[in-house]
Amino acid sequence: MNAMIIFTLLILLMLTGMPISISLGLTVLTFLFTMTNVPIESVALKLFTGIEKFEIMAIPFFILAGNFLTHGGVAKRMIRFATTMIGHWHGGLGLAAVMGCALFAAVSGSSPATVVAIGSVVLPAMVKQGFPPRFGAGIVTTSGALGILIPPSIAMVMYSVSTNTSVGSLFIAGIIPGLMLAILLGLTTWWIARKNNYPRLPKATMSERFTAFRESFWGLALVVVVIGGIYSGKFTPTEAAAVAAVYAFVVAVFIYKDLPLNRLPKVLLDSASMSAMLLYIITNAVLFSFLMTNEGIPQAMGDWMIAQGFGPVTFLIVVNILLLIAGNVMEPSSIILIMAPILFPVAMKLGIDPIHLGIIITVNMEIGMCHPPVGLNLYVASGITKMGITELTIAVWPWLKTMLVFLIVVTYWPGLSTWLPSVLMK
Amino acid sequence: MINRFLNNLEEWLIAFLMGSATVVIFLAVLHRYFSGVPYIQDYLVKLNVSWAQELCIFMFVWMAKFGAAYGVRTGIHVGVDIIIRKLEGGKRRALILFGLFAGALFTGIVGTLGANFVWHMAHTDQVSSDLEVPMWIVYMCVPLGSYLMSFRFLQVAYSFFKTNELPHHDHGHVEGLSESDADDILRQGGNVVGARK
Repeated sequence: MNAMIIFTLLILLMLTGMPISISLGLTVLTFLFTMTNVPIESVALKLFTGIEKFEIMAIPFFILAGNFLTHGGVAKRMIRFATTMIGHWHGGLGLAAVMGCALFAAVSGSSPATVVAIGSVVLPAMVKQGFPPRFGAGIVTTSGALGILIPPSIAMVMYSVSTNTSVGSLFIAGIIPGLMLAILLGLTTWWIARKNNYPRLPKATMSERFTAFRESFWGLALVVVVIGGIYSGKFTPTEAAAVAAVYAFVVAVFIYKDLPLNRLPKVLLDSASMSAMLLYIITNAVLFSFLMTNEGIPQAMGDWMIAQGFGPVTFLIVVNILLLIAGNVMEPSSIILIMAPILFPVAMKLGIDPIHLGIIITVNMEIGMCHPPVGLNLYVASGITKMGITELTIAVWPWLKTMLVFLIVVTYWPGLSTWLPSVLMK
Repeated sequence: MINRFLNNLEEWLIAFLMGSATVVIFLAVLHRYFSGVPYIQDYLVKLNVSWAQELCIFMFVWMAKFGAAYGVRTGIHVGVDIIIRKLEGGKRRALILFGLFAGALFTGIVGTLGANFVWHMAHTDQVSSDLEVPMWIVYMCVPLGSYLMSFRFLQVAYSFFKTNELPHHDHGHVEGLSESDADDILRQGGNVVGARK
């Protein structure tokens, strides 16, 4: 009963269009003031302690690192490298865009940032080459989603914060599914390009490839710093993020010199305001999940599911459908922060691996970012291409289908996600 | 005048906190790394940097509170806008104003709760575990940030009421990218290459 009231209130408030963080907070306050006798002081305490965890601080650092990389010409050199490697195959620059997204995803933790960084460089180039604008827009919108599957990933940090799963293991677990999705998206691109006979680039010589590699080396090395550092235990994920931010700053300002120092305050301000927005949602989501736990809602749902005789298979179908629906109206961070604490206890009762669940949720979020009405990637891509959302929706459809197939594979093949961390992280 | 002061304060504060927290953690990592190196380690062990994590957390909590207020002004806080986008005229205005006032109400309540909490805190002598600063100073960010945020919501509501415009954050905008970037990735053998069929 209480669960019904809480959710109805939350959904009603959200539908008015107020910020998600505010609707979460107001739901909690309304409920606490009118329906329970939980002392309000404990809520006040939660308002402070909600984000006082060092793990959460990885989020602002990764955002800052991502912004330095976006402004610092790293994306450009990565695409150039990808172009010399695979630009002569069917799909040419399109294929290079997929690879560029995958490379950039390995240094950035956010999907929209990947779309911006790669898209704003590669899309004008593709139009110049004579690709239909839709083709490029579809590729970049969907491949940009790799940003949260290939580590580092802000979405995974969110999941680990709300479920106490190890960030390091989640990052490692994202590698194989991430590469697999990149290959699948690349195949889709190749297939469409071959069918329509889209332009290809002349094959690059070995020396051109080497030059491109050398130029993009500083960006690529960051992958080693972040993943290697976390895996070898040299840094915690948060420290790795801070080191990545400093490294990206040095590369952008002193090595590539694409970011003049006088733009530094602007980059800091943008990163700070983006991080603050996410941290503000986290604060309120922590409050919300405190309310849920206090009312025993996740446990009740778990018991109900088990009483209905739901096995893991049915449960995962429900999870996917629920997340895909949520992906229609909310952005990923909020979904993870609201849903993960509810789904997690149920999944544990059913014996689903926490890492596997994390990867399933991440892939769902990727899909949610690529379709309307609130797919953030779509909006970003529409900002770059000046295409309408409706046209973009048609444009992304072939790649979106690939992602849906991939979602089914990830959901029912736990080994794909859990094998690598079980081998590496002992 | 006061408004401009507040704007500048907000912007400089959060940008400063973002930058310096990064430097603090980076230095702490360097310190730990070089503490394993002979010769210099003798000097480094004398420095105690165990407070770095705590300082970083406090800085980011402050940044979160004031950044959230800045975010109201720049329209970065996302909501579910499927209904608002379908509505027009008076109904749309009413719903948007309702959302803004709800924001002002919530942040106002939180600010008051926070002020109350800080007031009680100030009468204890609780200090943080590593830095040993009084906790009520650390927690001051909640009433300050929340009241500022409440003020920003009212400000946005007022300007929306007058001009019918909301601040809008464009996620797709990148400064400093130029046409030449497109040519850069296509150059081969010194020339920008054309397509081959």
